[in-house]
Amino acid sequence: MLKTIRANIILLIVLMLFVSLCGLGLFTYKYYRDETELTTKYYVALTELEAKKIDVEILRTEKNARDLALMGELYYKFEKDRNVAIETMREVFENYPKSLGGGIWFKPHLMFPNERLSCIYTFRNKNNQIVVDKAYETEEYNYLNQNWYKEIAPNITRDDNVEWSLPYYEKEGGGTRIITAGAGIFDQNKNIIGISTVDWAIDNVIKSLETLDNVPKGSFTLFANPKKDYIIATTDPYLNGKDLTGKSLKNIPWYSNNLKEIRYLPLYHNVIYVPFEKKLENDMELVVCIPMLELYKDVLKTVSLLASLMILICSLLGCLLYNGLKNHLLKPIDKLIYIANKISKGENDIEIKIEKPEEFAKLASTFDKMTKDIKTITKEREKINSELAIAKSIQMSSLPAIFPPFPDKEEFDIYASMVAAKEVGGDFYDFYFIDDNHFMFLIADVSGKGIPAALFMMTAKTIINNVSQTVQNPKILIQEINKKICSNNKHGLFITMFVGIIDVTSGKMYCINCGHNPPLIRRNGGNFEYLDIDSNYILGVIEDAEFSIYETQLNPGDVVYTYTDGVTEALNSNEEMFGEERLLYSVNSLKDKGIQDITKYVNSEVKTFSGDVPQSDDITMLIFKYNGVRSDNDNIMTFKDLASKENYQNFYPWIQTVCKKWGFSENTINAIEMCAEEIYANIEFYAYNGEAGEFEFAIKNNSDSVELKFTDSGKEYNPLEKPDPDITLPPEERPLGGLGIFMVKQMSDSISYHRIDDKNILMFTILKT
Amino acid sequence: MELELKPFGVSGLYVKASGRMDLDNAVEFGTKVKETIEDSEGIDELIIDFGEITFISSFGLKVILELHKEMSTHGSMKLRNVPEAILKSFKMVGFDKFLVIE
Repeated sequence: MLKTIRANIILLIVLMLFVSLCGLGLFTYKYYRDETELTTKYYVALTELEAKKIDVEILRTEKNARDLALMGELYYKFEKDRNVAIETMREVFENYPKSLGGGIWFKPHLMFPNERLSCIYTFRNKNNQIVVDKAYETEEYNYLNQNWYKEIAPNITRDDNVEWSLPYYEKEGGGTRIITAGAGIFDQNKNIIGISTVDWAIDNVIKSLETLDNVPKGSFTLFANPKKDYIIATTDPYLNGKDLTGKSLKNIPWYSNNLKEIRYLPLYHNVIYVPFEKKLENDMELVVCIPMLELYKDVLKTVSLLASLMILICSLLGCLLYNGLKNHLLKPIDKLIYIANKISKGENDIEIKIEKPEEFAKLASTFDKMTKDIKTITKEREKINSELAIAKSIQMSSLPAIFPPFPDKEEFDIYASMVAAKEVGGDFYDFYFIDDNHFMFLIADVSGKGIPAALFMMTAKTIINNVSQTVQNPKILIQEINKKICSNNKHGLFITMFVGIIDVTSGKMYCINCGHNPPLIRRNGGNFEYLDIDSNYILGVIEDAEFSIYETQLNPGDVVYTYTDGVTEALNSNEEMFGEERLLYSVNSLKDKGIQDITKYVNSEVKTFSGDVPQSDDITMLIFKYNGVRSDNDNIMTFKDLASKENYQNFYPWIQTVCKKWGFSENTINAIEMCAEEIYANIEFYAYNGEAGEFEFAIKNNSDSVELKFTDSGKEYNPLEKPDPDITLPPEERPLGGLGIFMVKQMSDSISYHRIDDKNILMFTILKT
Repeated sequence: MELELKPFGVSGLYVKASGRMDLDNAVEFGTKVKETIEDSEGIDELIIDFGEITFISSFGLKVILELHKEMSTHGSMKLRNVPEAILKSFKMVGFDKFLVIE
């Protein structure tokens, strides 16, 4: 079957019309066959009629010849009186008024032994009198030598035989065309003694054939003797009939011996002829050739008229049928499709009305009802949506959104951002002081989405807040929170959460990760790294779960970046996730930027990554930056760390930050850095032998100088004892080492080494320039 | 520190370093340059572009001296675009007396 109803209908109509055309075609064909048969029969009869006319003349001529022969026998047996014979011949010819003439001719010396030639020839003169023509009796004429005599006499064997001569002209080169019929004259012993002849003028016959009535234009005839193979006459317009008289039938191109059946001749001068043939009494034959198109002209006319009429009727019928189906079936369907399309595009204020046919009217009214239902449902859905939007905004407003939240606290900065997904989600964050010095921040994600997740999130947020106001110990705090969430969780939801509790005075931080994404941490101006922290249980599932607490020391400038899986699991059009690698790269490509800029940048990176893919989850981030406590002595800064090659990465940026903050010149910073690096290397390599021991660096900003102090607990080592290198030596003689401490000495205004309490202390002053 | 090494002329090597040349990476810098010289035989001219160097410590100076010694056995070494602060350091340790500074 075809794809559309329209195509199927057209196919059906075409098939139907084809079948009816076939039927009508069959009818037409039968009509054509019957009519042609009738026409054929008519012309067969016509030909037979014409043949009959000729046959009558042939038979009469033959009878005339036999009568004459009988007369000849009597003349021979009894009278031998010429005058009586002539008189008798006249009487014979009286009975055959159409015969032209004739004679009796005896074999030599039979009639009269002393006369070689013996004959009598009479003919009908202009006055219709039968007179004797003595010219035929002369030796000059010598009938024995004439063609007609030779053609007839030898062939006669019995007394009922009539033989025919070839056609010939009466006079040489013209005159009437004649065929002579001859019969035998016998004696008592049945021996042939002579012949009688009668001349049959065939011009009349030919004339009547030339002007044959009742045959179509272009027809022609052939009158011939096929047995003896000669043509008597033809009216073939492409041949010269006169010249062909008495010639072989081979001269007729279209002629063949078996013209017995009615059939079509091969194309002859671009016309197909139908031959109608009739054998005559004396082996002669009459053929009437009629051009086929002329023959069946009327039939063909009728048939072509019929055919055009049929095609016309079928086309009309087809159009009517298609039109009817279109109006009653296709149009309503198209209308419904059009309406359905409009509805699917959101238009629902459409009146759907189809009056007929009844089936479509019903369908349309059902459609109409459906549309109205959709309208109602849409309205309800809009209401729900607007309520959900309100719920979402209530949920969002429950999260702290004013930054900075504690403008008077300089120990830390905090910033949070949440790009909510369309649906109400379960991400949240919170932060507050749980006592004078301890600040707690958390980021969490409730499993699932929608209203249940949102409600559960509100409950959890309240529980966490309440518990944290009463419990200080982090381990107990998180256990208590988990317990309370478990008891309020009847629907099997759960929460992942990361909590940080920091003593803002010391930088000591407790971290608890409850199945949440590991946070990123940036220490001492270096790069962000994922914090290697135990994942623990998720909240809300196991009531008596134990949680491991991670302790770490934050130094001034350190940043903790927390986020939810909305960041790392954001998808792009290839179904790839944004992922932790990309996140790490994103946050690290922004050095020396504020924490707010980091959230903005990550948000834009995630958006760029996702492209057209709609956001499916909340994207939430919370960043905490520890600034440290401003010491009473505003002009001293200290840095504590393990001396290692890796930690050096944190050390020099710290110095740069401090120096820039105090506004030192490039030269001063250069000198401080050069000295600090040299001493750092000495501590790392010589005091601790490369084993990463602890050291402290303090820098004091005086009005015109900077004091530096290095303290380490390594083995005793005084770099000042190293001898100075000779800088005047040619390069090839100069040793590679010893330059560093030499430079420190050069750049310092004063420098001193102390060994106190197993500690190396190196102090020096650099003048500001 | 970022390092760009490219040959020039018949047998020259052009080195452009940027960033800090200090405890953290001076040794690595020296090793890379030396390796390049050894790998491409017949280098007799070394140019180090200091244009993008922000800081040089004693470790950096040590490497420069080392390279100078290395090159003086079979060619020459030139320094280019040396910033003021670094020139000061060179002078402090007497390097200005033998280094070819353009």
